[in-house]
Amino acid sequence: MVTHNLKITNQLGLHARPAALIAQTAGSFVSAMSLSKDDVSVDAKSIMGVMMLAAEYGSTLTLIAEGPDEKEAAAAIKQLFENKFNEDF
Amino acid sequence: MLVLKGVAASPGVAIGPAVLLPGESFALSRQYIGENEIPAETKKIQAAMQKTLAELDQCEKKVLDTLGTEYANLMSTHKLILQDPAFHKTILHKIQKEQLSAQAAILFTLQELTSSFNKIEDPFFKERRNDFFDVGKRLANNLEEGKAKFLPTITKSSLLVAHNLYPSDTINLQENHILGFCTDVGGKTSHTALLAQSLNLPAVVGLATASKDVHAGDMLIIDGENGLLVINPDRYTLSNYRKIQRDIKKTDALLKTINHLPIITQDGHPVKLFVNYDPRTDTKANKHLITDGLGLLRTEFVFMGTPLPPTEEEQHDVYLAVAKRFDMRPVTIRLADLGADKMPDFPLDEFDQDDNPFMGCRGVRLLLKNPDLLRTQLRAIIRTACEVPAQVHIMVPMISSVEEVRHVRRAFNEILHEFAEHGKHPTNKIALGAMIEVPSAALALDGMIGELDFISIGTNDLIQYLIAVDRINQEVAHMYDPCHPAVIRTLNLIIQTAHKRGKTVSICGELASDAKMLPLLLGLNLDALSVTPRMFLRVKNNIRNSNFEHCSDLAQAALLMGSSEEIRQLIEQNDQHENS
Repeated sequence: MVTHNLKITNQLGLHARPAALIAQTAGSFVSAMSLSKDDVSVDAKSIMGVMMLAAEYGSTLTLIAEGPDEKEAAAAIKQLFENKFNEDF
Repeated sequence: MLVLKGVAASPGVAIGPAVLLPGESFALSRQYIGENEIPAETKKIQAAMQKTLAELDQCEKKVLDTLGTEYANLMSTHKLILQDPAFHKTILHKIQKEQLSAQAAILFTLQELTSSFNKIEDPFFKERRNDFFDVGKRLANNLEEGKAKFLPTITKSSLLVAHNLYPSDTINLQENHILGFCTDVGGKTSHTALLAQSLNLPAVVGLATASKDVHAGDMLIIDGENGLLVINPDRYTLSNYRKIQRDIKKTDALLKTINHLPIITQDGHPVKLFVNYDPRTDTKANKHLITDGLGLLRTEFVFMGTPLPPTEEEQHDVYLAVAKRFDMRPVTIRLADLGADKMPDFPLDEFDQDDNPFMGCRGVRLLLKNPDLLRTQLRAIIRTACEVPAQVHIMVPMISSVEEVRHVRRAFNEILHEFAEHGKHPTNKIALGAMIEVPSAALALDGMIGELDFISIGTNDLIQYLIAVDRINQEVAHMYDPCHPAVIRTLNLIIQTAHKRGKTVSICGELASDAKMLPLLLGLNLDALSVTPRMFLRVKNNIRNSNFEHCSDLAQAALLMGSSEEIRQLIEQNDQHENS
């Protein structure tokens, strides 16, 4: 199991486009992945779940990946957050 | 007879019997299923998913062809939602564990989702609930094998009344005998309204209670010119509207006969007539217009409603499609006039929303503060100009000083140089010009005209800034006055200054399609006008019926006048004289 704490640094938070990016990226790995904020936990492979977190700028999420490719999977999601979903140019 | 007042969303008059679009409530046919039915219900859901996906694909393609990428993106988000594993899982769980029918499973999933979304405070996130609902509704409709869709059941010409109409519904109206439509909700610039305009369907929106006040089969008149819905009109009103309908057709027919004729005044003075073009609302009829080219492409739409600034690639695709449409004719692309009432969703550098946004950071000011935005757009346009035979013009909005012109020109030259280093050159020299809408630019135009290739006057803002009148403020809106001597004199100053240096001047505001003002504008020796496709032939007809010498006299007289009243009287008299 791999756990990361991820901070949202893009101004608009996890709206449709970042949510879609996360869901698509997570979907390309076998491992199960969840994102949680406060006490809500959602499937990272679900655009609906990720959007429902309504995670705004500055909030911190916990990512948990578990499965055969958990390291790569967690790293890929982390990368998205670090790149601010390619949003702040 | 009942008359409802709404918002005119798409022009024209439609008369016919009403059909009502069924509401959005699902009538649940059956809630629970037996254990032995679980596999069958599961299969049903999967089949419905396939079908919905195929529909969305088709819809995406259709929207892409008619409205362009912006709307197509909406459909692809819908596809992602449909394919969401959690969405699948929840629905399947409800069928397999709770033994709910497929229909009930979708319905309850949507209800749960709605309540989750309702808990979200941020309106930006909350809004997304509509997308889920649209997808869920579609899916539920596809459950019943062979269940008749509503629209194809309409067999005779009718007017559609709906509480709300999704763009995906609107796009299928015409092939289903719908002559026009009206809705309870929506505004003039909603996706649905834009779509109606491009499909030439008269439409009135924002009627609040239309779907309750109208019964199926009622005789309706949809007056898309005045934003009215007439329910069960009396004989007098009906015959009156039939006459209006015939008149509209007659004028349209007459105007078409002049399409191929040259754009010159009676005494042979040539004027260029361009169109203000919006690729989102292009129609077949527009394609038949013979124009001098594209006078104004507003590019704000490329930047709106997207969480990320559009990339060079994305912008290039839009500009390329537009430029190809105009072949070898001039194509004028205005740099994004963001700020004021047009704020993008993506974050901007150094941007504080101010109290007086129209005097704040907008147009070129905002672009110079966000150099990446400026350079990306310039690159996309220049790249387009290297690939098409069109004469590309770049217009800079909100110029107020020569320094701004120089900054943009420098960036422009640098990018041209970069392209040249890669062996890429524009097919034709790209013209760089300014939109003159700030009085300081008009007054000091002589100082910057040397650095500009052309001038275009944005009359709406110029008049607002000249008279210091906000058109949205009800207290002072009446003071917005194109006949103000300051307006006429400023137009004259701009045109004279530009002509001295051999530069051309065009007008692309509303003023350009004002029939009464036209003689005055022609008389001031304007080189070109740019108007909407809808007004194009009317303006052309008016130009062809004008006498340039007479217009010049009129303009000279107006320039000597000291009040709006005198000027208005002058053009009113002239107008009556022309019509008699």
